[in-house]
Amino acid sequence: MAERKDAEGNGMVLSVENLKVVYRGVILALDGVSLEVREGEAVALLGPNGAGKSSLVRAVAGLLPKFEGRVLDGHVRLFDQEATHLDPARITGLGLTAVLEGRPLFRYLTPVENLVAAGHRLSPRELKEGMEEVFARFPRLYERRHEQAGYLSGGEQQMLLLGMALLTRPKVLVVDEPSLGLAPKLVEEVMRTLDTLRREKNLSLLLVEQNARAALSIVDRVYVLERGRVVFEGDAKAAQEDQDVMEFYLGKEEVGFRQAKRYRRRKRWV
Amino acid sequence: MPDLLPYLIGGLANGALYGLLALGFVLVYRATSVVNFAIGEFLLVGAYLTYTFALFLPLPLAILAALPLAFLFGLLVERGFVRPLLGRSVVAVIMATIGLAAALDGGVQLVWGPDLKYLRGELPQLSFQLGDTFVPPRAVWNLVLALPLGFGLLWLLRKSRYGVLVRAISEREVAALALGIPTARILAGVWGISALLATLAGALLAAASGVGPNLVFLGLKVFPVAILGGLDSVGGALLAGLILGILEALSQRYLEPILPGFTEALPFVVVLLVLLVRPYGLLGERQIERV
Repeated sequence: MAERKDAEGNGMVLSVENLKVVYRGVILALDGVSLEVREGEAVALLGPNGAGKSSLVRAVAGLLPKFEGRVLDGHVRLFDQEATHLDPARITGLGLTAVLEGRPLFRYLTPVENLVAAGHRLSPRELKEGMEEVFARFPRLYERRHEQAGYLSGGEQQMLLLGMALLTRPKVLVVDEPSLGLAPKLVEEVMRTLDTLRREKNLSLLLVEQNARAALSIVDRVYVLERGRVVFEGDAKAAQEDQDVMEFYLGKEEVGFRQAKRYRRRKRWV
Repeated sequence: MPDLLPYLIGGLANGALYGLLALGFVLVYRATSVVNFAIGEFLLVGAYLTYTFALFLPLPLAILAALPLAFLFGLLVERGFVRPLLGRSVVAVIMATIGLAAALDGGVQLVWGPDLKYLRGELPQLSFQLGDTFVPPRAVWNLVLALPLGFGLLWLLRKSRYGVLVRAISEREVAALALGIPTARILAGVWGISALLATLAGALLAAASGVGPNLVFLGLKVFPVAILGGLDSVGGALLAGLILGILEALSQRYLEPILPGFTEALPFVVVLLVLLVRPYGLLGERQIERV
């Protein structure tokens, strides 16, 4: 099967087609969502709480069963291979690594042990080199490498997670709300790190975020998800200029008191 | 007290076996949160396997041959009884192990008959003198095999890559899966090791006192030992085994004359008393749960 390419000839790395995801057979989390990530690009998936962003991440990573969810309809394709019902180990093997929301690392293990766990597929030498690289990138982690990971600060934990993700040798990285609970300065640092990593390692990135401003600073294209449906799709620049995106996710400028009373902008999308 | 020492040594010898069995139990509990009620039957099957091999192999080889089969047995139990119930309530798996225990109890009698049998052959007669006291081979072998194995397992869990994976999976399975870790395979290995430990304990027990369906009763002792040590502590299991072995021996010597039958209840009484002071066992981790 010929590799699908877009107009510029970039290969499709991750493709989600009309995905319907349901939990416990009754809660419809995704209602026909389509998106794609092309080789080497960074795509943001924005949207409010409960939009279904994390459900998409779980679906793509093959983790839905663990959350009592399943794919009702639609497809997930990874590097043009059918990946909708693959198990997580196979998906990581194909090159997609997902960093789930809530900083899912092993809190009773040390950073070193966390990295060892992440590098389970590497040879001893590869593991050693990989860990050295992670510690070189994140010196604060090196200092605290033998403490329990649960005692690290939120920012350090996020860095550790990125390091762990790197050790799985991904080609596509899906990161779910890395900025959650972090101070603005740290959010900036995490975004910069993601950007640097992507460029250095030639990764494709799907960044799922509630913090639209932070995400828009490092991505090429944007999807906005609301109530299980894609309501906006475009490049980052267009997103920043779109009225609806601006109002609901980026914040409009101050309107006077009188304006606010009369102002009731209607959403153009459902 | 000159005649204390033989009792202590006998107690240690028994305690080593308790510890070995408890190790197998705690390993599975710690890695998978499954209470394996069939652990006594693992020991039973292991003992009978050794008996069969001993019919045509010298005893040491018979034991060595039984171990890989035991590992396989553990893998099969995981595959057939535990994995299908993944995601169901913990009680479901526990019930499955109880059912398995009953099935194995009966199955063993079907295959080998209900009478007590003795193992052909003996372990090399390693023994020595400790001052006035004679240390019998069974004590030597029990300790020589159980202690290094126990420490080896501790090392495996703490330091090896495999151990890190087991601890990671037992802490947060979803995170492990997200990293592509083959959780099912690794947990199957844990069940295999558990069966292997139980088989070794069974083989040693059989070598000392023969094989019969009554061997399962050692399985009942596993629970106080494991609880005493701390249900999630591998080191605790070994320690608690040795301690209870010694206490049992002392009770046999000093309390049995005045309170006949008390020794049977001793492990449970000890656990009760210790739990009053240390609710998580000797080496268990304090669990703080959010409501």
